[in-house]
Amino acid sequence: MMLSVRGIEVYYGAIHALKSVSLEVEQGEIVSIIGANGAGKSTLLRTISGLLKPRTGEIEFRGKRIDGIAADEIVRLGISHSPEGRRIFTNMSVQENLQLGAFIRHDKEIDQDQEKVMERFPRLRERIKQNSGTLSGGEQQMLAIGRALMSRPSLLLLDEPSLGLAPNLVTEIFSIVLELNKEGTTILLVEQNAHRALEVAHRAYVLETGTMVLSDTGKALLANPKVKEAYLGG
Amino acid sequence: MSFWIRRLASIALAVGGCFLIDWFAKENLKDFIVRLVVLAALYITLAVSLNLINGITGQFSIGHAAFYQVGAYAAGLATVTFYKSQPLGLALWIPLMMLVGGVTASVAGLVVGLPSLRLRGDYLAIVTLGFGEIIRIVTQNLKVVGAASGMAVEPKMSTPMIWLAWLLAITSIAVCRNLLQTAHGLGFLAVREDEIASSAMGVNVTRTKVAAFVLGSAFAGMAGGFLAHYEGFLIPTMFTMDVSFIILTMVVLGGSGSVTGSVIAAILLSTLPEFLRDIQQISMAGLVAAAISIIAGVVAVRYVSQHVHTPSTRRIAYPGAIIGSIILTVVLSKVLAFIPTLANASTDGSRIRLVIFAVTLVVLMLVRPQGLLGHREFGWGSLRRSEA
Repeated sequence: MMLSVRGIEVYYGAIHALKSVSLEVEQGEIVSIIGANGAGKSTLLRTISGLLKPRTGEIEFRGKRIDGIAADEIVRLGISHSPEGRRIFTNMSVQENLQLGAFIRHDKEIDQDQEKVMERFPRLRERIKQNSGTLSGGEQQMLAIGRALMSRPSLLLLDEPSLGLAPNLVTEIFSIVLELNKEGTTILLVEQNAHRALEVAHRAYVLETGTMVLSDTGKALLANPKVKEAYLGG
Repeated sequence: MSFWIRRLASIALAVGGCFLIDWFAKENLKDFIVRLVVLAALYITLAVSLNLINGITGQFSIGHAAFYQVGAYAAGLATVTFYKSQPLGLALWIPLMMLVGGVTASVAGLVVGLPSLRLRGDYLAIVTLGFGEIIRIVTQNLKVVGAASGMAVEPKMSTPMIWLAWLLAITSIAVCRNLLQTAHGLGFLAVREDEIASSAMGVNVTRTKVAAFVLGSAFAGMAGGFLAHYEGFLIPTMFTMDVSFIILTMVVLGGSGSVTGSVIAAILLSTLPEFLRDIQQISMAGLVAAAISIIAGVVAVRYVSQHVHTPSTRRIAYPGAIIGSIILTVVLSKVLAFIPTLANASTDGSRIRLVIFAVTLVVLMLVRPQGLLGHREFGWGSLRRSEA
């Protein structure tokens, strides 16, 4: 088991955001978490990446307890988080954003990896010296994913990569997710676009107001009548 | 190999340059200007070091004079206590004492930095402001350092060590510029931009903030150590809130985050008020004309920046407004001279120098809210790019 989350409880002050949530991710999988606004999807990713601390419960990554470890240390263990709302550094150039993605690395292959990212996202190459705040929404999302890849993660946490993008760009983003997975990156994906998220996922979970209510393969959930009614528009 | 040759050459050039400034100033300039040359170097150090905390790392600290003061008093006290046996020549002793001041101030930076980590923006500003006042008031009541009547630092430098002040200034600039070239430096900027995204990149936000505080206050402390031996006398009123605000103004005016901007603003703001002392008589007509022209200039620049989008017009907006206001001032002052009350009245320039200083700041903030240089830097790199 690559990642296993067991019975975590997360609070924002008095608000009980995650109630005994458990989940597992195997090496090489794409696992999707779907759910409505405010269900706690982003909270779950933020807890895994160390930005939030669970009150109780355990998070284990490759056999090592990581709950309670600082976020910047968790990146060093191989989990890279592309947070909600992209959060690229808008006052910096595209290149500086990518360099920051490789902040934890000191090897000589950083330039090579930057080259790879630019091959994957040719539009970033065109704008490499440009201030990243001037990029379009889709380009910013590509930069956010590219930046997350620069740390050479074994597990990539993607939070709403399709948010606010035009349909053709959404298709492009999801094909990139599939590509990355084929190249060996394990992916934990959080999405409101349930249809797409279930299509690409090996397995998926449904989160409802802080509680995991369903889990199955992506295909099975696509066919599940409850999921159809609640998340796929009938 | 060539890297080290270049590095050694640039260090040699910097040190040589400092001694050149020293030699030139002592040979050619009046004492009062020499003093400005020294103070400019100290203010460069202070502005560049505050820029590291405020501009680059984005921690809004407004008590920088406190670190300056801690450094000055630590160095002064060490000299008064230990120099009796004359262990070293003054030319070596004073740099050593500057280090003492720097280390003490960096400890103070650590003390302020650590509890302030949970605070952001205005809350942090209040804490640093409070810290500055605490330091000043404690020294005001501390007998060991002469309390409110001050402390003589003996021996002080026999002639101003201009080279040392400039060496400190250039070192602070070099440290900040080189820091920004490294991956770690990028981490400092990232913390300013977005703390959550930074930690998701693996930047240790806590350590970065504390490092900025420690490094920034260390340089302020070294400047203080110099000041102690330059003035030969320390009194708490030398380190009031005004000093903190002037340093902060330099950082904002130069463009938060721009090292070059801090340097230019430090030179401008530390010398401008002194040069304004030279203005003798200003006629009221001229003054009113200047006021009207400045307002017109500001309005024009703001109009262009908001409503005109032709690049060629935008480019000439600043020079156009400056030249236009000067012409308007001259013309208007002739016209206004026909009004007898304005023509006959005049004022002493030295009396309104602080008004002029303040107006300069207001105008600059109105027409260039991002500061003189914004986030940009001046460097050989950008020169090369513009040639290509």
